[in-house]
Amino acid sequence: MQVLGPGDLHREVLETGLCVGCGACIHLCPYFHTWQGKTAMVFSCNRQKGRCHAFCPKTEVDLDALSRLAGLGEYSGDPLGAYQQIFAARAGDAAVRGDFQDGGTVSALIGYALETGRIDAAVLTGKKGLMPEPALVTRVRDVAGYAGSGYAAAPTLAALNQGVNQGYQQMGVVGTPCQMTAVALMRENPMADENFSDPVALTIGLFCTWALDARGLMAFMEKRLPGEEIRKIRIPPPPAEILVAETRNHAVEIALDEIRDLVLQGCGLCPDMTAEWADVSVGAMEQNPGYNTLVVRTEKGRQLTADAAAAGYLEVWDLPQSGRGCLERAAAVKKRRAFGRAVETGRVNSEKIGPAVLRVNARALEKMTAGPGGAHE
Amino acid sequence: MNELTEGRPGQRLLMMGNQAIARGALEAGVSVAAGYPGTPSSEIIENLAGVAAAAGIYVEWSVNEKVAAEVAAAASFAGLRSLCVMKQNGVNVASDFLLHLAGGGTRGGMVLVPCDDPGALSSINEGESRHFARLLEIPLLEPGDFQEAKDMIKWAFELSEQIGNLVMVRSVTRLSHASGNVELGPMPDFRPKARFRHTGFILDPRQGAVSSAPVAYKHDLQQQKLEKAQDAFENALFNTYTGPENPELLVITASACNLYCREAIEILGLSDRAGLLKLATTWPLPNNLVGRYLEKTGRVLIVEEVIPFLEENIKILAAELALEIGAKTIHAKRDKTLPSVGEMHPDHVIAALAKIFDLSYEAVSADYTEKAGLCVLAGAPGRDLTFCPGCPHRASYWILHNVLALDNREGFVCGDIGCYSLGMRETGYFSLKTMHAMGSGTGLASGFGKLGPFGMDQSIVAVSGDSTFFHAVMPALVNAVHYNADITLVVFDNSGTAMTGFQPHPGLETDAMGQSAPAVDIEAVCRALGAQTTVCDPFEMDQTRDILLEKVSGKNGVQVVIMRRACALSPARRGRPEYEMYLDPQICIGENCGCNKLCTRVFKCPGLNWDDQNRCARIDEVICAGCGVCASVCPAGAITRKKRT
Repeated sequence: MQVLGPGDLHREVLETGLCVGCGACIHLCPYFHTWQGKTAMVFSCNRQKGRCHAFCPKTEVDLDALSRLAGLGEYSGDPLGAYQQIFAARAGDAAVRGDFQDGGTVSALIGYALETGRIDAAVLTGKKGLMPEPALVTRVRDVAGYAGSGYAAAPTLAALNQGVNQGYQQMGVVGTPCQMTAVALMRENPMADENFSDPVALTIGLFCTWALDARGLMAFMEKRLPGEEIRKIRIPPPPAEILVAETRNHAVEIALDEIRDLVLQGCGLCPDMTAEWADVSVGAMEQNPGYNTLVVRTEKGRQLTADAAAAGYLEVWDLPQSGRGCLERAAAVKKRRAFGRAVETGRVNSEKIGPAVLRVNARALEKMTAGPGGAHE
Repeated sequence: MNELTEGRPGQRLLMMGNQAIARGALEAGVSVAAGYPGTPSSEIIENLAGVAAAAGIYVEWSVNEKVAAEVAAAASFAGLRSLCVMKQNGVNVASDFLLHLAGGGTRGGMVLVPCDDPGALSSINEGESRHFARLLEIPLLEPGDFQEAKDMIKWAFELSEQIGNLVMVRSVTRLSHASGNVELGPMPDFRPKARFRHTGFILDPRQGAVSSAPVAYKHDLQQQKLEKAQDAFENALFNTYTGPENPELLVITASACNLYCREAIEILGLSDRAGLLKLATTWPLPNNLVGRYLEKTGRVLIVEEVIPFLEENIKILAAELALEIGAKTIHAKRDKTLPSVGEMHPDHVIAALAKIFDLSYEAVSADYTEKAGLCVLAGAPGRDLTFCPGCPHRASYWILHNVLALDNREGFVCGDIGCYSLGMRETGYFSLKTMHAMGSGTGLASGFGKLGPFGMDQSIVAVSGDSTFFHAVMPALVNAVHYNADITLVVFDNSGTAMTGFQPHPGLETDAMGQSAPAVDIEAVCRALGAQTTVCDPFEMDQTRDILLEKVSGKNGVQVVIMRRACALSPARRGRPEYEMYLDPQICIGENCGCNKLCTRVFKCPGLNWDDQNRCARIDEVICAGCGVCASVCPAGAITRKKRT
């Protein structure tokens, strides 16, 4: 994956509207900043190579290279990526309770990892109103305060870079698939920095179909529910096709079609629904509210899950093969759509570098694009 | 000793044009002088203010030029002699009042001195005040040297009283700001008493009410006054002719161009072929006098600065006299013999004369521009106009730029006139996107702020200096508040009219004469006008940025942020650096990823240098003003500051 400079990043990703505001370029330098969900380059920087470009998950993503970094062979193109086990899970009795989106699995795992010293800080996402805010959390009891999803794109990785600046060396990062991709890129030390040491000890990925523009979501809700404090947003499983905004007194149903325009353009080119480059990935469990789907991918993830379950932080149940069908289908659809768009716009294995170029071997490409919604349709 | 008041009659002194004008006013017995600062006019009021107590006169820096004209006119109505001074743009501001004033007439002698800036050396236009003389139908005098600058002021006062109307004496940069020998005249020992007489018959020009109505009647009177002035101009000794009895070419000029013409004629050895008619009374033209000289030759060259004012008036006259004196070939600007933009220059006159006389004299070699360009490229370091080290505007624009970038909606700044006009350039991070007249930034912002319903979703910021705030921003701010425009007005309050030399303004506790005066509080004014107002220190960068960010991003009508920090050159600061600055080269990230020379490449305070050998930034202790701001800019914490005791 070739590293270019901040000017290229600005031109290719920010100006083209492909930025998903993940925060990977924030707090590295004085040039990139995030405010109210939007990433800005405040002054021009004429370096030919920069970490900003190297870490960005929207410049170009070489799935084979990422796969090899994860100790796997060339990218398989399997809907859920590489994994060891899949569980139904929820927070156990030993975990601190919070206002969980679903089963509280993420909070439980992070709490456990902090408690046992596996990580020295957790990179999480909080909210101020509907506006997501990155957070660096070091105390177990604070973790639950960051539970719940907002569906708005969050610059979470800004907190990771801040953690690096503050000297944390074993951080646990919770983030969306694009953020897990960025973290994988960061850990590769793409700028060949002599003083580099991997600051990440644990990655927990969140399932994600798309994210909404945070400012747009706020403006939409202000118009739709003026003056009301929205406490929680949830999207029930298909075929509901709605978003539910919960206020103090009532829950308002909003058709997904109404907010479709707020989906970030960059999300349309993302082939990853289940955060394939994380140690474990967590999402909702369709048909089973109050539980999570937990995909265990790496040895580290397996160990953590087993230990957390043994310590009462987590309850897990094997998810039978039959229960994986829905998840696999949804993940395959995201892949097909993303690669379909990418093929159409000449972004797959393009000779040109970025923006949003996807690189992958022919076999996996064939696998991912076959079927409805894909390029072969 | 102040030679302005104590110089003896007959004494010859080297005087700046503006000093000569001030001395002329004193010799004429001026009682009241008012103006608004603006290059190249400011030294006239400054000089008079400096001797106000000794000379027993009243001098003020008025809030703007219109008020200055009104203040001076009041003195005239009360029978005193008064002087009103401004740069050319100021006449635009004052013109509304002046048109009424000229229609109603004056009593005590009143002289308006606009100082034009051909070539816009210190302006953002090279508009002319001469046309106002024609528009206002008042006499126009143009001194052609330093002696005349003094003497014609005195004559202008006499003329004003003779005709009962305002007289304009126009100066230009090269007269106002250059120096020459001036022989002083006597100072008056008579002090008139001020009394506004208004109890007479309403149309009585000395005892009645003052007004330009009834208009046709007063207008007719006004034109009679102008004719009276024209009669006086026929015999004015300031109009001079030098040259042969029947020249091959008659050169007609006025003002500083007089000196250029003399030089050009001398250099080309044309004194026995070309005659020079130097006019001091350029509106209305003394018809007979000019006609007499036109009659002597068939060819004429008219030399004047910027647009063809003299040329048009002379051509009208030549057309009227054509049957008597014959048709003339007139070279000037309209036939492109001379340029009609930028300053006049002896070389332009030489080129024109050489062409007309078919001489092979090269005033400037053909490849001069090219060679000069190469010299500049090779020899001079690349320098843009920049704010001074320690300038609060640099910090303010740094904050503004960051705020608009974070807000990320292509927000922009509507600008105004002052040092902070440099915000349009690199030193202000290209923040300023409009720049027009004083106060126009806020007026434009008020308009932009109402375009939301048309789909405009950009943050709108106006900037204003403290002096400009009083000058012309207040009405625009009232407009913005009343119409609930979504704008943020940022007042760069550096406690003085910095660009023109720290003249006091109504926000300060001292007046032009150094007397204490009640200060008008900008913050209180803004609050009273209904704008939500916050005072910040631009040197507290992070805090101020957060405040401004909140103001700019919200849609809450008019917000005012006053960035208060005295100018780095302010006399009140006495040049004392607040901090000792240190830069640790070990910590400096330099050009590496993570900084890339932010302080020397982007922030660009002249007090910071890039050390090419050691690949790190360095503080230039000679230039550094010790403001401490760069410590907040450095992303690595390599720059630290220690408070000086």
